Amino acid sequence: MSAAMDFSVREAPASTEIVLSGRMTFADHDTFRDVIATFERPAGHRMVFDLSRLDFVDSSGLGMFIIARDTAQRRNLDFAIRGARDEVRRLITIAKFHTMFNIAD
Amino acid sequence: MGHARAMTAAPGTDGGDTPTRPPPRTGAGASVYGMELGIPLDGCRVLIADDSAFNRRTLTRFLQWAGITQVAFAASAEEVMERLESFAPDLLLLDAAMPRMDGIGVCRSLRGDPRWRDLPILMQSALHSDQMRTVCFSAGATDLIAKPINPGECIARVRYHLERRSMVRELRAFHKRVERDLRQARAMQLALVPEEAELAALAERNGLAVDSVFRASDEIGGDFWTAFEFDGTRVGIFAADLSGHGIAAAINAFRLHTLLTRTPPEEMRDPAGLLRQLNGRLCEILPLGQFATAFYGVIDRADDTLLYAAAASPSPLLATSFGFQPLDASGPLLGAFGESAYTNRRVPLRRGDALFLYSDGLSEARDAGGAMLGEDGLLRLAERAAADAPDRPLPALMARHAAIHGERLTDDVTALWITLR
Repeated sequence: MSAAMDFSVREAPASTEIVLSGRMTFADHDTFRDVIATFERPAGHRMVFDLSRLDFVDSSGLGMFIIARDTAQRRNLDFAIRGARDEVRRLITIAKFHTMFNIAD
Repeated sequence: MGHARAMTAAPGTDGGDTPTRPPPRTGAGASVYGMELGIPLDGCRVLIADDSAFNRRTLTRFLQWAGITQVAFAASAEEVMERLESFAPDLLLLDAAMPRMDGIGVCRSLRGDPRWRDLPILMQSALHSDQMRTVCFSAGATDLIAKPINPGECIARVRYHLERRSMVRELRAFHKRVERDLRQARAMQLALVPEEAELAALAERNGLAVDSVFRASDEIGGDFWTAFEFDGTRVGIFAADLSGHGIAAAINAFRLHTLLTRTPPEEMRDPAGLLRQLNGRLCEILPLGQFATAFYGVIDRADDTLLYAAAASPSPLLATSFGFQPLDASGPLLGAFGESAYTNRRVPLRRGDALFLYSDGLSEARDAGGAMLGEDGLLRLAERAAADAPDRPLPALMARHAAIHGERLTDDVTALWITLR
């Protein structure tokens, strides 16, 4: 069983990539607050969630994506998710996230 | 042992029989020993068990300086038991060794009685060896003070244990109240889903057989489902799972249930339309990041079809003579985005066919090794249950599920097996 969600941040001048890993569930709300803190960027900056190392997300995890998207919108950031695989891809597909999220694959 | 002589007289006293010149008090804090920290102690009751009158008086004086005025005394083991019952102290100051009573024995027997298991027992002992201390602690003493007793230390320890007891009591009372409230809330949540006899009657009238399981992981949770009949030939089945766990999810489940019960029957015929409407209303009331996954299907016995729409619910399984087939239940989360569009899908549902609906609590269960069952795994479990117990596959499925994943799951579970007769 893989561990609770973790994340790492890769910075570039005009973009920030957040690599989420592990299992993202209801229990990860506190960690996710730290993820959201990285959204403190100037307008126009690009924020990308790289989900390629995320093994699982439950429906609470989807709620965190929605909060991230909302935060980006309020701060005029360009927000995208990419790299979802297996279970994570399945869940964001059945929730039809492509209609609301910029999915950069 | 010279217990009485081992006791140090407090400064400012003559060590005589009457506590003279008590420190001036404008409240407990007036004395240097009446530290004004934490809770006031004037409501606390302390029982002093000591066969020396001198020690009893001295300890009483120390307690008075801490603001403790409700003090009772015992000079023998029998008296300790009697006073415990009649005085109901918050703390027992117990001499470890007395000629007519063995403090260690008293302590041990009190700890064996559930009524006194939590009582702080502060033991005073003139023997300071590690061995003696170990004996006191293993007899159940909460703490020790060594004779000769220093008033500052004595008061600080008494205060610490009384405060701790008071906090534990508050926590227990709070826990009890929350437990009771959750029990009531749980009963209310169970009342959201159709009552068994009612459901059986509905099933009978519409030529259906319905088996259901509804279980919250904690006292309450965010799952709910309901079934209702309308237009003479149609049965609506609504199942939703509100995001999150516990009280917040349960309150959102009640909100969704209320919205559903206020929907006029003519709007129940169009599943996609119903979800669109519910989505709009939920978007207004749910906080950001909270939503429901949902399935709404209308079984029409006039033409034996299932018309359904879904909001990212786990894929329901359709069981026909050709085997099990997952239905596409994709769709935008209910209550997450204002302008979501939902799609109606229609499948034939003939006599003998069955529809198996479940919440993700069932498919996302993990076995002892941490492996998740998954929807594919659940499909195989359903096939096996249908083969083993064709008349009532759901109980067989749940039993097999429990054997692998345990009875206590980390998420709420809803499971519905609806067969057309």
